[in-house]
Amino acid sequence: MSKRAVLVAILLTLVLHAVPWWRWYSCGDREPPRFALRQPHSPSDRGLPQMTEEFITRDTGSRMVHVGSICEMTDSRLVACWYGGTREGAKDTAIYLALRDPGTLSSWSEPRVVVDRDSASRELRRYVKKVGNPLMFVDTRNRLWLIYVSIAVGGWSGSSLNVKVSDDGGKRWTPSTRLTLSPLFNVSELVRNNPVQMSDGSLAVPMYHEFLGKFPEILWIKFDGGDFRFRKTRMAGGRSFIQPSVVVRGPRGAAVFFRSCSHERAVGMATTADAGTTWSDPQHLELPNPDAALNALALSGGRILLAFNDSSRGRENLQLALSSDGGITWQDVARIEEGNGEEFSYPYMIRGSDRRIHLVYTWHRLRIKHVVFNEAWINVELRGALR
Amino acid sequence: MITFAFSFVFPWLVALVMIQSIAVNVKKPPHGWRLTLLLGLISGILALLPVGGLPLARRLIGMNANFSFPLLAIAFNKAWEHATGSRVLDAKASTASWMFGCAAGLALYPMALGLGDFDPYTLGWGFSWLFPVLTMATIVLLLMKNRFALVLIACILGYDLNLLESTNLWDYLVDPFFVFFSLAALTNRLIRRLGKAHSDRKGMDGMGRERASTG
Repeated sequence: MSKRAVLVAILLTLVLHAVPWWRWYSCGDREPPRFALRQPHSPSDRGLPQMTEEFITRDTGSRMVHVGSICEMTDSRLVACWYGGTREGAKDTAIYLALRDPGTLSSWSEPRVVVDRDSASRELRRYVKKVGNPLMFVDTRNRLWLIYVSIAVGGWSGSSLNVKVSDDGGKRWTPSTRLTLSPLFNVSELVRNNPVQMSDGSLAVPMYHEFLGKFPEILWIKFDGGDFRFRKTRMAGGRSFIQPSVVVRGPRGAAVFFRSCSHERAVGMATTADAGTTWSDPQHLELPNPDAALNALALSGGRILLAFNDSSRGRENLQLALSSDGGITWQDVARIEEGNGEEFSYPYMIRGSDRRIHLVYTWHRLRIKHVVFNEAWINVELRGALR
Repeated sequence: MITFAFSFVFPWLVALVMIQSIAVNVKKPPHGWRLTLLLGLISGILALLPVGGLPLARRLIGMNANFSFPLLAIAFNKAWEHATGSRVLDAKASTASWMFGCAAGLALYPMALGLGDFDPYTLGWGFSWLFPVLTMATIVLLLMKNRFALVLIACILGYDLNLLESTNLWDYLVDPFFVFFSLAALTNRLIRRLGKAHSDRKGMDGMGRERASTG
């Protein structure tokens, strides 16, 4: 290389490196966003205690369903999502969606397929062996989001995340977009629990990695002008905690609860004071956890509701517990399910616009169950448990 | 669209190198532009060949969507060597690429896969100190007139144009295959150097004993 060529190459290097700097500088999101707080809850729920149960899916007797999530659109319609097939990991698994109009007399619509391995393969223009583990939610612009995993090789640890968005309540979707989130073949990134809306319009989606290490992360994602902009940050390293469930407690404060996959079979917890940029070291709580998913939800008065399997051995029950001190100590509220040798797992809760709480979970891996209750019911159950 | 079109480049180069290697093995060195053009065409057809409704190249992309630019450069270098008998990446550039692959791989993978609380992979999004470090490394290599600097320039150019599916700079710099080849090449070089040093020492000892016995 001549001296002149070296000089030209150096100039080219500087110009090419200025492009990412300029993109970063001009996009104006150098300051980390805060948590966008939802409408403040009144200190207490004065309504009558309410609790209803129903199934979203029919009993087919043989088809497996699992990993349900639920959200509410601005017109108060509920949308539930899950995956199902002849068995877990089978090639015929698909992501399903069902709708429920507001009003107590209506029921859940017939489930319809949002994406299966063939449509995922077509949209992603690559081989897809199976799809699964969906998460559905609504953003502040009433757009329905679906994040799901696709697997080309191996089991769940070989999964990659894909995202679709719908502007019309789930009738039409953008084609699946693959999110590259890991440097090792982009595998082993999964989502489970409720995303958090941020002040800049982006979403913080709790996710986790489970290949060699098992650790919780946050996916920061924004959909603008037809493009997804995203990055991720780590909550903790190691091999102990996955499936984070974040409960926002202020513009910058939040608590997170983890599924434990270490020998210490207890729920993990950490906190942030800078809107998720950094997290405290996770600690084990006194609540047991049989290496199973859990879900936490903010209630009025700073209280936190937790749905989890109250056992260190299996998923034979589903328990609600309440904390009034930010997640340090817990009181039993109610046993939602219990049965020897049965499975009740993967709880997921939201708070509706009518302030009722919607809980969905896997029922014997055969059906997705929907339980609705209000805070008055929680308070009554809590008093009963304390007596 | 540009990302989708670019995803065919690496599978095409791999197919070309494989066909050229077969030609070398059957004692028909694939030198010359006409033959290279023909083999390139055959490789292109192979990459586009639909298998189960998907082009063969996209099946490879299904396994790994982000083949790094250094790996692409190695494949291109091999194809060029087969076609012309000369190398784009000389010995100095190859050594730099193997050292870069090892250093970047060791800095990235253990921590990105869960060792500790810090994830270096996050530095590849937006703008971080990874970018100035890469700028400095490229300029130093340019001043040393090392051709691997051109590969690093290609990395940042590819990143700016969003040629890979990934939006993370790390994926333009390294991938597991490149790191594996780098580790293998450097280990091989180290073993050979140690073997040579050992045999040199044996030779020296032999000469010393010979001198002592004649003295």
